[in-house]
This record gives sequence, structure tokens and C-alpha cells, in this order.
Amino acid sequence: MVSTTPSRRSLIGLDWFTFCLADVQTAFGAFISVYLTTEKWTQGDIGLILSIASVVGLIGRVPGGAIVDAVRSERFAAAAAVLCVGASALMLALWPIFPSVFLSSVLFAGANCVLSPAIAAISLGLVGYAAIGERLGRNASFQSLGTALTAAGMGACGFFLAPRAVFLMTAALVVPTLIALANIRGSEIDTARAHGGLAAPSPDFGRGLRRLLTNKRFLAFAGANALFQFANAAMLPLMGSVMTMRSANWASVLIASCIIVPQVVVAITSPWVGRKAERWGRRPLLILGFAALLLRSFLFADAPNLYFVVAIQALDGISAAALGVLVPLVVADLARNTGRFNLAQGLIGTAVGIGAALSTSFAGFITDRYGSQTAFLALAAVAAFALVFVYLTMPETRPDEEQ
Amino acid sequence: MALARRTAELVRLDRIAAVIFALASSWDFAAAAPTAAPAEPPKPAQQSPAKGATPAVVLDDKDVETILGREIYSDTGEDMGKIVDVLVDHSGQVRAAIIDFGGFLGVGTRKIAVDWRAIKFGPDGKSDHIVLSLSRDQVRVAPEYKPGEPVVVLGAQSPAAPATAVAPAKPARPPASGTPGNQAVPSK
Repeated sequence: MVSTTPSRRSLIGLDWFTFCLADVQTAFGAFISVYLTTEKWTQGDIGLILSIASVVGLIGRVPGGAIVDAVRSERFAAAAAVLCVGASALMLALWPIFPSVFLSSVLFAGANCVLSPAIAAISLGLVGYAAIGERLGRNASFQSLGTALTAAGMGACGFFLAPRAVFLMTAALVVPTLIALANIRGSEIDTARAHGGLAAPSPDFGRGLRRLLTNKRFLAFAGANALFQFANAAMLPLMGSVMTMRSANWASVLIASCIIVPQVVVAITSPWVGRKAERWGRRPLLILGFAALLLRSFLFADAPNLYFVVAIQALDGISAAALGVLVPLVVADLARNTGRFNLAQGLIGTAVGIGAALSTSFAGFITDRYGSQTAFLALAAVAAFALVFVYLTMPETRPDEEQ
Repeated sequence: MALARRTAELVRLDRIAAVIFALASSWDFAAAAPTAAPAEPPKPAQQSPAKGATPAVVLDDKDVETILGREIYSDTGEDMGKIVDVLVDHSGQVRAAIIDFGGFLGVGTRKIAVDWRAIKFGPDGKSDHIVLSLSRDQVRVAPEYKPGEPVVVLGAQSPAAPATAVAPAKPARPPASGTPGNQAVPSK
């Protein structure tokens, strides 16, 4: 039997693993189109690569989760995915030609489909249900620190370094990521628990999928996540475009602040969210996250002053902290004793991806026709609907104390 | 889903074919060059190519430059983004450059079409920057360039922009107050 209290070494390993991974992912995702532009790629080809990557990221979630459920060792799956990310960054840096960039972005998107469930699975396997809320809060915190530092660092390095150097650096970051992963002792991860209970999950994949897809609470949660992203995903890019239009000299600094402020808020508040999720339950915090989104979209529609927008972005941090902790937590609650924790995460990830994809097209369409203010109001309407939806359909999922 | 994958595959095969073709043709050229050289004794005075060979011009790479992906600056050295595309009319005349302007790490950038004549390529003084004679304030408010829609081309800042044979069919519009813009409607 696995010891109930994981060692300090494993927990710190998990801290640094989430931190380094966020570095790698941020650098890769944000910089690819900038890089390909300097490599004289046409806009059409860049758009094609980005849409291929997002399609892979969307359809790969469910198989990605199923792979993590099927593989004996979460660490092994995560290590393989990290190596794929490293290989894909290296390919991009060395051969910016179509076949290798194509393969690289598919590899990166595929690896991400494995990595995000794997982190939650390792956490659950390591600390167990009693401490998972707090652990997920800590994960979100380290992840945001990684993202914020990378975004700030890349903003600074962008002026001094060639874009190619960013990808070489990403590839080099794979080494500390793997060292951190190796520090998590495999023997302390309870494999059964990492898959959501049940020592031997039934090999019938279709039945596991059907069981999740007929669970009303699970479907409600997937819908709520899709709606959240539908209202959320386009908001910052749209505001960035408005900022570029309204401020000549400060737009870049303001947009950078709009990216970094929420990350800092997430880093500070996530551990608190994790603790309160155990004490108050999931539902009040979930409603708080959705309410913050609604308030933010209304304030954006009205935004009188661009410095005020940076302050409003703190609300984005509150939503992101709430969702970042609660999504894996509620999924863990719902998939308990199914042995399909990672498959369930993959399904929720697909819902999130669909919501985000629709958001961009929806907001773009409304902006073209009626202007950005109307677009923000439309997103606010979606956010209001999402809040009502969560309020009416999502029950408390915190299990009773005795288990 | 299967369709999307097949399309992606087709596209990739297409690219691979293009790469192989490019490699093959460059190899052909490399192989043909040494055999052709001794057959034709060098004529220092005359640069005309051998009969049947493809005519070619040799340019000093200091006289020409690539522009896609290049940074572009204003007269005062402000960062104006990168050139990401070039628009030509039916006669092949270059009309406008698309610059990717503003934003941070790709968030909030706007693609703006600027008049080709508003861009200076020569080594202007000490720097070899590509210079756009528009200010950030003029560019930031311009409507965004979207393929398939009427293109608003931001004009040159100085009213004395040469309205030469670049657009003979269209009379140069007198610049109004503020930033002059050209509506170029694509014919479908």
C-alpha cells in the first residue's frame, strides 16, 4: 500500500514541474506566429498552422485523457509528453519550413492534451482526495508564476534576442522540467487514485465514456465550462485590439500588464481558493468565478480609461483562480470511483476548447458589424447566461466527510 | 474530422512536393552550372548569357533587401510593427504593404494597409531601417485590413507624395485634413 503522506521532495518536485511546464507552454504558444512572421512565412500559412494546432488540441483532449488513464505511470506519460514539447521546440528553431513546423505544432498540441490531465492526476495520486483542493490551489499558483515570469521575460527578451532564441530556450527548459518530474517519487503516487479510484478500471473504454456522458452533473459542468469560455476567451484579445487603437505609445505596456496582472492575482489567490473549496464547498466559489466574469465584461464595455482596464483585469485573475482550481477539483469529485478521471478531464477540456473557439468567431463577427462595445455587451450577455446556468444546474459536488 | 485531417494531409503533401521540387530544381541547376561554364569562355566586356541559357541579372545584395517579416519604423524611430504582406494591383504594381501593428506577444495586434509610396527603403542617414512616413497616432486608428473586404490604404503623410504612374487609372485624391486614405475596392 502507498504511504498516505507524500514526501516533501515529491511535493516540491510537483511545484517546480508545474512552474517549468508553464514556462515552456507560454513561450511556445505566444511566440509562434511572431516567429514565423520573421521567418517570412505568409499570413495564410501561419493561419493554417495555428488552426491545425487548435484542431489537434481540440480533438486530442479525449484520447489524451484516455491515454493517461490507460498508461500505468502518470510520470512516464508526462515525461514522454515533455520530451515531445522539447523536440517540437527544437524542430521549430532549427527548421522553420512547412513540414517540420507542421509536425512540431501537431506534436506540441498533442503533448498538451496529455500534460494537463497528467498534472492533475499526479497531484491526486500523490496527496489523495482529502488534500487535493489545497494541492490544486498550489499548482495553479505555481503555474501562474511561471506564465507571468515567462511573459514578462519574453517581452524583455523580444527586443534583445532573435525570436529563434526563444525556442532554443524553450527546448533547454525541458531539462529542469524533467528533473523536477524525476523528483516526484513514483512509489508515492497511488495509481488507482490518480485514475479516480477503482483499483482495476474496466477495460471497456466505450462504457466509461457512456457512463460519463449520461451523468447529468457532468454534462452540466461541461456546458458551464463551454459557456464560460464562450464569454471569456475573446475578451482580452478584443481589449488588446481596442488598446492598440486607442493608445499610441502605451498600448504594448498596457496589454502586457493586462496579461500579467491576472497571473499575479491567480498566483496569490489560488491557494486560498483551494482551502475554501474544502471548507465552503465548490458551488459558492464557482458562482464567484462566473460572477467575476460577468462584472468584468460589463466594465470592459464601459471602460472609460485604459489604466482602469488593467485594474479590471484583476477580476480575470479571480475568475481564472476559481476555475483553475475548481475545474480539476469538480471533475475529480464527479469521476470518483469511475477510474476515468483523466478521460473526464479530457471531455471537459474539449468543452472548454469548443467554447473558446466559438468565442473568437462570435466576438469578431459582432465587432466587425457593430463595434467593440456591442461585442463586449454580447459577451456580457453570454456571461450572464452562464452565471444563471451554473446557479440553476450545478449542485454541490464536495463528497461527504467520511470517505 | 476525417475531412479536416485529409485536407491537412493533402496540404502537407502539397508542401512536401513543393519542397522536393525546389530541391530538385536547385540540384539540377548546381549540376548544370559546371558543365556549362567551361564550354563558354568568359567575355569580360559582354555580360550577355550564352545562347539558349536563361537570362539572369546579378545584383549586389546591398542594393536589394527582403521585406517580409522586417521591422518598420516611423520617421522618429518609433516601432511601427512588421511588414507581413504586400498588395499588388492587376498590373503587378505594388500598391500597399500590410503591417502588423501594436499589441504584445501577438495579443491585440492590428493589420493595417499602408501606401507603398509612404515607405522609404533607402539607407536614410545612419540607419538602414525601413521607414514609414506615418506616425503611430495616424496608424493606430486606421481600419483593420481584412482579406476579401475593401482595403483602406493609409496614404503618405506629405501631401506632395508623388502620384506618378503607380496608379494611372485613378486620379490621386487631394489629401483631406488628417490622414489621407485610399479606398481600394477589390474587384470580384
